[in-house]
Amino acid sequence: MSALRELQCAVGRAVLGRDEASIVEAIHGDGLDPAARLGIYRNHYLFSLTEALKAIYPVVCRLVDERFFDYAARGFIDKAPPREPCLFEYGAAFPNFLAEFPAAAKVIYLPDVARLEWAINAALHAPAEAPIDGSAFAGVAGADYSKLVFRLQPSVGFLASDWPVDRIWQANRPENENVGPLDLDEGGCCLEIRQQDDAVVFRRLEAGDFALRKALAEGQSLEAAAAVVLERDPLFDLPMALRRLMGEGLIVGFRLSSPTPMPEEASPCS
Amino acid sequence: MTAQSDSPLVPLSGKAGIGLRAPHLAEVVASPPAVGWVEVHPENYMGAGPALRALEQVRADLPVSLHGVGLSLGGSDGLSERHLARLAMLVDRLQPVLVSEHLSWSVVEGNYLNDLMPLPYTEESLVLVAGHIDQAQNRLGRRILVENPSSYLRYRHSTIPEPEFLAALVRLTGCGLLCDVNNIYVSGRNLGFDPAGYLAALPAEAIGEFHLAGHHVNPIGEDEILIDDHGSEVAEAVWALHRQALALIGARPTLIEWDCRIPPLGVLIAEAGKADALAALSPKERDDVRAA
Repeated sequence: MSALRELQCAVGRAVLGRDEASIVEAIHGDGLDPAARLGIYRNHYLFSLTEALKAIYPVVCRLVDERFFDYAARGFIDKAPPREPCLFEYGAAFPNFLAEFPAAAKVIYLPDVARLEWAINAALHAPAEAPIDGSAFAGVAGADYSKLVFRLQPSVGFLASDWPVDRIWQANRPENENVGPLDLDEGGCCLEIRQQDDAVVFRRLEAGDFALRKALAEGQSLEAAAAVVLERDPLFDLPMALRRLMGEGLIVGFRLSSPTPMPEEASPCS
Repeated sequence: MTAQSDSPLVPLSGKAGIGLRAPHLAEVVASPPAVGWVEVHPENYMGAGPALRALEQVRADLPVSLHGVGLSLGGSDGLSERHLARLAMLVDRLQPVLVSEHLSWSVVEGNYLNDLMPLPYTEESLVLVAGHIDQAQNRLGRRILVENPSSYLRYRHSTIPEPEFLAALVRLTGCGLLCDVNNIYVSGRNLGFDPAGYLAALPAEAIGEFHLAGHHVNPIGEDEILIDDHGSEVAEAVWALHRQALALIGARPTLIEWDCRIPPLGVLIAEAGKADALAALSPKERDDVRAA
């Protein structure tokens, strides 16, 4: 192994907080403790990544307060260092980390609020594509409709939670000074998150629309997605639901599925 | 969406530019400030959302420069083909007036350290960095500028002074240099070298851009260390060093960077104005500065 390779691996371990001893010998003190010089990089690493997470998860930060957030973020950063230089992509696994972080276990809705914030962040960096309209399907034979696999706007995301995370999010925006009382017993919600007019918006969907759209977004054929929805609600108005989907500009493309085994059933929104 | 912006390229004027960061993006789109150009970190625009569309609007009014922080030119992992491809796509789409990166490394064993880590200046490092600059310039189809880093440490086994290392990269790869005046001052104080001597050792003809920024003075025990945080106005000592740089090197596209505790846009514009006033000193006054 080259001297440079060895050095960079050792410096990397020190910055990641895994081992500092193997590198201090290689560093000039220049009047200071070499470990203190190295510590500047370690501190910057932790501080800058914590700030990056805070920018993506401001409501989580407010819910647990900044000191606790810094503590949780440090645990996450040490466990899952970034693998790419684009920091808007860093932190997808933070909600799952919080779900398993014992110190946060009491804030039972925290992981889902984090999932909402990640979905907002993901939607913000997705491209906006031109929607297609009904005329695009002119060449599709009626018998093939069931094989349609739609491509939805890349920014669209779906989140089902047992908690009213949308109301929790609204009430705890950093710019909101007075947090009103929240009723956690009011039940969960099924949310659709998407980019609209250069901003990200989200809203509640009815359980049927949610299940249909989520199944379609996952790449299930129209037939398979419809089966999921109709099984839970035989009276679901599928044609109307598809018209809404198209009217909202959410469909940007389609293909016909090849005859493959039925995909696994999507989990319906409870 | 087109692969490339349709608007014609706005050329660089002699006026100083500012680093454009997210808090000012909407304001700059709505009303382009009276500065010569803007510079952004491409890593913030590698998604495809509203930020990129806003930057394309800025580009119709002001020259845009891409100043990368994530390529890890000095990294022994090798350059990330994915990152290089994303950078090439942005360069293609925005046709920036300048493209720059740093003499540093930031990725090891696949982990991104989110900092500009210093290199040991050895023959081995020189060969590695030169190879990566060649690779980047070939992939992007253009010359890049390489910036001198701010450093908080140096390695015992370094054998080549930093400005000589940069000059060798210019000879080996044909790259240009981005002379960050604040970084020279910060590193000089932290590592104990003379900033003026450093400036004089740089190949002036290769320098294609100046950077100016604020730094923070941090006490460490009885001593102090300067942190290159880009969180304040340019220090007087750095303005003084910039006057020397102008005298030695001449005028170049100059940029004010501000990355933390970001103030209102007007503060950055005023700093750019100060840089313009310095650059406007007549050659005779420059000679006086040089003689002083």
